[in-house]
Amino acid sequence: MTNKKIIYRPISPEIEELAREHGNEPEAALELLKEIQTHHSVLTPTSITDAARALKLPPHQLYGMATFYSMLSLEERKKVLRVCDGPVCWLKRANGQSPVNSDQLVSEWQNKIGGEFSVERTSCLGLCDRAPAVLVEDEQAGPVEANEANKVCEGWRGVQTDFSEVRKGEVRVMTSLIGKIDPDSIEDALANGVYDGLKKALQTDPGTVLSEVESSGLQGRGGAGFPVGRKWRFVASEKRTPRYIICNADESEPLIFKDRVLIDTNPHQLIEGMTIAGYACGASEAWIYIRGEYEYQARRLEKAIEQAKAKHLLGENISGTDFSFNIHVHRGAGAYICGEETALIESLEGKRGEPRLRPPYPPTYGFRGQPTTVNNVESFCAVPHILKNGAEWWKSLSTYATPGTKMYMVLGHVKNPGLFEAPFGLTLRQIIEEFGGGMADDSAFKFALCGGAAGTIVDESLLDVPIDFSSGQKGISLGAGSFLICDQSVSPVTMLRELLHFFAIESCGKCTPCRVGTWRSLETLKHLAAGKGQKGDLDELKTLAELMQDSSFCGLGQSVAIPMKSALTHFGAEFTKAENNVQR
Amino acid sequence: MINLKINGKEIQAESGKTVLQVAKEHDIHIPTLCYHKDLNPTGNCRMCIVEVKGGRFLQAACVTPVWEGMEIETSSEKVMKDRKLTLELMLANHPVDCLICDVSGECELQDLAYEYQAKVPDWGAKGTRYPVDSDPNPFIRVDMNKCILCRRCELACAEIQGRDVWGVAKRGFEEVIVAGAGVPLLEARCESCGQCVAYCPTGALSNKMNYGMGRAHQVKKVTTTCSYCGVGCQFDLLVKNNKVIGVSSNPDAPVNGMALCVKGRYGYDFIHHPDRLTKPKVRRYLLEGKKKSDIRNSIVDSQKSKVELSNFGSPWDWVETEWDKALDIIADKLTDTRTNFGADTMGFLTSAKCLNEENYLMNKLARQVIGTNNIDHCARL
Repeated sequence: MTNKKIIYRPISPEIEELAREHGNEPEAALELLKEIQTHHSVLTPTSITDAARALKLPPHQLYGMATFYSMLSLEERKKVLRVCDGPVCWLKRANGQSPVNSDQLVSEWQNKIGGEFSVERTSCLGLCDRAPAVLVEDEQAGPVEANEANKVCEGWRGVQTDFSEVRKGEVRVMTSLIGKIDPDSIEDALANGVYDGLKKALQTDPGTVLSEVESSGLQGRGGAGFPVGRKWRFVASEKRTPRYIICNADESEPLIFKDRVLIDTNPHQLIEGMTIAGYACGASEAWIYIRGEYEYQARRLEKAIEQAKAKHLLGENISGTDFSFNIHVHRGAGAYICGEETALIESLEGKRGEPRLRPPYPPTYGFRGQPTTVNNVESFCAVPHILKNGAEWWKSLSTYATPGTKMYMVLGHVKNPGLFEAPFGLTLRQIIEEFGGGMADDSAFKFALCGGAAGTIVDESLLDVPIDFSSGQKGISLGAGSFLICDQSVSPVTMLRELLHFFAIESCGKCTPCRVGTWRSLETLKHLAAGKGQKGDLDELKTLAELMQDSSFCGLGQSVAIPMKSALTHFGAEFTKAENNVQR
Repeated sequence: MINLKINGKEIQAESGKTVLQVAKEHDIHIPTLCYHKDLNPTGNCRMCIVEVKGGRFLQAACVTPVWEGMEIETSSEKVMKDRKLTLELMLANHPVDCLICDVSGECELQDLAYEYQAKVPDWGAKGTRYPVDSDPNPFIRVDMNKCILCRRCELACAEIQGRDVWGVAKRGFEEVIVAGAGVPLLEARCESCGQCVAYCPTGALSNKMNYGMGRAHQVKKVTTTCSYCGVGCQFDLLVKNNKVIGVSSNPDAPVNGMALCVKGRYGYDFIHHPDRLTKPKVRRYLLEGKKKSDIRNSIVDSQKSKVELSNFGSPWDWVETEWDKALDIIADKLTDTRTNFGADTMGFLTSAKCLNEENYLMNKLARQVIGTNNIDHCARL
């Protein structure tokens, strides 16, 4: 059967040229799509098919990507203004009154500034310190109140947060140079001891470096707390080469912005940490997978990499040794799931960011099927200090069982929200009272969301439990170190609705429990929060949470249950009230 | 060999195998949906989850390798509850039209729903999310409302047919299967082999030609060998009221398994076609023992014979006759040609629709009987 509509059409020369610039590499699929979108402000089936043909990939793969990543669009857009829909921005916009729905705000702004911009909602931008935040094309802005749309159009970008003031009780290691150096100057960095750890490491052999990191007891800072040294050991002991180092800077978890601050204040620290990792693992190439919303930080990293290369601290034969190491910066395009290490690797390989089957784990079968370690920005940033001052010193920083220091973020209704660095074992009370300056406006504590969006929602009964990576079993999680403190004005039901809204949008859709479970939980919570609850809603939420936790494919689905279950445990009464439509 | 326990039973298994494979070898039933033995397992649907002692989460049996000392429960209360709930989540986005669905009776989702007594939750997504019969492909009927996103179609197209037409687009609850860059199948390099239809566990992809003509229990399956080419694929003809209404893959086919090409799967409509020749036909003048040159001359000679000819039909007409008569005529012509013009003025072309034995005989006829090496086969062209 011949189809008259199908005629041979050569690939558009423009796309062919763009693909050639990327070496016609399948791995460049995401960059290519982004560039086509930048040139044409839209992706069409034709341009996607052409791009696929140029890269010799099936068109469905690129179409799948174009519809997967939120920064790519099949609808024509003008300049894009993304309104953050993260919990902190939502809370800030609510400002004590009834919360402003992000959809309402988007349409309101679209009417106001629609001439120039396409306004759209986006998941947490990682600008919680500047909430309520927006992203104007690729420029971060905040705080931007609901009535300040026009100011943003005129080029106003809000105020940068100053993190240089040390809070009482803080122990600054990774953040010690904040405000003391110009982050864009490698001379400043060198004068202040950055790269000393690397130089010291290069004087010993990789095995010694590995042992030092292992004996420091450094645990991964992405949230799971897996020992960094052990992960590196797995990679180093794999016989196959090349081995790869990947830095997970896809900081898409709502409430978390520590990696952004670390990159913004001292990018060389991260580069140094990664280079040490490369030396220890016997790798010579590394990627920093940074979320697409952090364009500013990505450029800063690229600049820092160039500077380090010029000083022979990166590139071929580092500091005259025979160790060579290169770091590439890869930008994501808006997908929370890409923070999951196997999804991140898939995305890096130019595919939809869907998690892979595990086992095999990345240390055996990672990027390009080779041994790969994926670590968080903060984990890498801690490494130079361990090498410079020794594992014993790192352990001595903390009197608690977990060694070293950790970045914390305290947000919401506290007097002094923000970021600080401290040892492990803090209690929520300490975080609120000592570091956060106490509850704002003398309001009373109601609940806290601990860890991140996939963290626990706790009431005052857990205020005095010391928090570390294992305290999740006691009901309060550390996650990536963020704590959203809410006073009596916030209902845990609406907070949970906001979280599920995020998860339902960010679920990749691969497995059934998460794909439908998040969506259905959100529907139920919307009803509950709107006072339209029905008998049985609570049971359904519980069953769905159990299902997602037990049966989901990856950590995203499994962890959606954490806030759901903890909220239902601590605030069962509130949920029951909502179920019975009792007005609060 | 490693030792493990499934449902308390001590089992020895080869290392490297999956829980599902080992369970199957020991006749332990684990339900599957996205898994198919011909395709790479993906672990998407979460129907084959089992409880592994000491594990924090339930594991998908199709992708979890066995290990020494593993203790597995395949039907604990938790497992059964989760499977049923997962099924309900699938059913919530699946139209409840088994009553009129073409694949009812051979639908794997329906079978599992029956096994687990799972019903569509009352909150199930109402209405139709996608257009029904959304693709103009003449053979493949697409109804994405019935899709449960198991992705078997994607794998069948990529791994078996190597065409990479189907893929997954969007994410989360919006996720949907698309052809190419969201275009109709035929524009996405589809060659209409129907592999995706054969592997689809539901009615999302079905056959367009026999849509509504018969269901699994109404048809008799007759295994046969494809008559199109020399590969020798086997499949089942679906016979209803003594008529072939379709073709379905026979998983036990030795040569091809489930795979078929567009001709084998969809080229069956010649069987009952009114134009199909069931008896030989020869030109009228040959039946009457005349020569071609005679007829030409007689027509040119007398225009009046036109009237006469039209009464009895044209000498060029095809007239039905018996095999013996037809073969006699052919034999005479062949002998005649060889005698008058020589054997090498003839050539023999055989067909892929014939058996190997028949092709061999044709070769014998050409070389030994007629005496020419001018023989060829359509599969070589």
